[in-house]
Amino acid sequence: MKDPCSSVAPLLDKYFDGEASAEEKETIERHLTDCGACQGVLESMGRLSALIRTPVEASVEQEAFPWVWQKIQREIQVQPRTTWWEALRARLGPFLFPGRRTWVPAAVALLILLSVSASFLFKKQTPSHQDLSVVEYVESSSCNVMVYESDQEQVTVIWLFECPEKEASPS
Amino acid sequence: MKRIGFLLGLLLIFSVCITSWARADAQARLRIIGASNSGAAIDPALRDVHNQLGSLFSFTSYRLLRDEVFNLSLNRPITIPVHPGRSIAVELVGQKRNLAEFRVRVVREGTDILNAVVRLGPGRTVLIGGPKHGEGVVILALSAHF
Repeated sequence: MKDPCSSVAPLLDKYFDGEASAEEKETIERHLTDCGACQGVLESMGRLSALIRTPVEASVEQEAFPWVWQKIQREIQVQPRTTWWEALRARLGPFLFPGRRTWVPAAVALLILLSVSASFLFKKQTPSHQDLSVVEYVESSSCNVMVYESDQEQVTVIWLFECPEKEASPS
Repeated sequence: MKRIGFLLGLLLIFSVCITSWARADAQARLRIIGASNSGAAIDPALRDVHNQLGSLFSFTSYRLLRDEVFNLSLNRPITIPVHPGRSIAVELVGQKRNLAEFRVRVVREGTDILNAVVRLGPGRTVLIGGPKHGEGVVILALSAHF
């Protein structure tokens, strides 16, 4: 036959802590009326608990905890409420918003880049001298000279007329 | 020490830039073309300028007589004898940014029949024509490559 104490003993802790179910509670209480050993175990639990609780409670009563709460409240009040922008900046700050010393050369470099690229972007689209051939100076001691610039063919022609020369034979 | 090294580096870069900027040489191509109205042959070597020649002149035949490519240094003329008593001298007289300035002289028996200064952008051509050549004329096509 099974020893009733062995089935009740594991439940005594729960019963003592008030965690036993109604069914378990009924079983334990029924057993305790007949079993002095288990009553003794339960009483020793009570004594042990009292032994521990008494000095702890006395210490807690002696300790002045209000200063802890005051400090916590002060910290909460000092910290201003942060906006989403400030929170984002705090998180990504080192990457996106480096120090002022970095901003200055970066801004200067950006300005130089803009000014250089602007000269290319807004350059006049009219034909420049680079696109044409330009006759700067023409002189002929013996011929009449015509200079003709063809916009369509983008070519310049210098033509000599009426050169009083002997005809050259084909080479 | 680092600062001196940095300054020396800057000086080196600056001197390289100045040297490359001041280096004045250009490649020029001179084609001597015989144009006439005898026949209707277009030299295949003149295919790239055929349209220009056709729209500017009314000759029916164009023949490439000579094709010269030469490197010109500043103020150092190159003379090309084209016929006994005749020569063409090309000289680089200036180069700034993307423009090369050439002096072209057509000399006949010691006399300049043409003395011209032309400024050319890269790939641009100036045509100099008129001197008689057989039944037609000679056209010089001078282009710059740099």
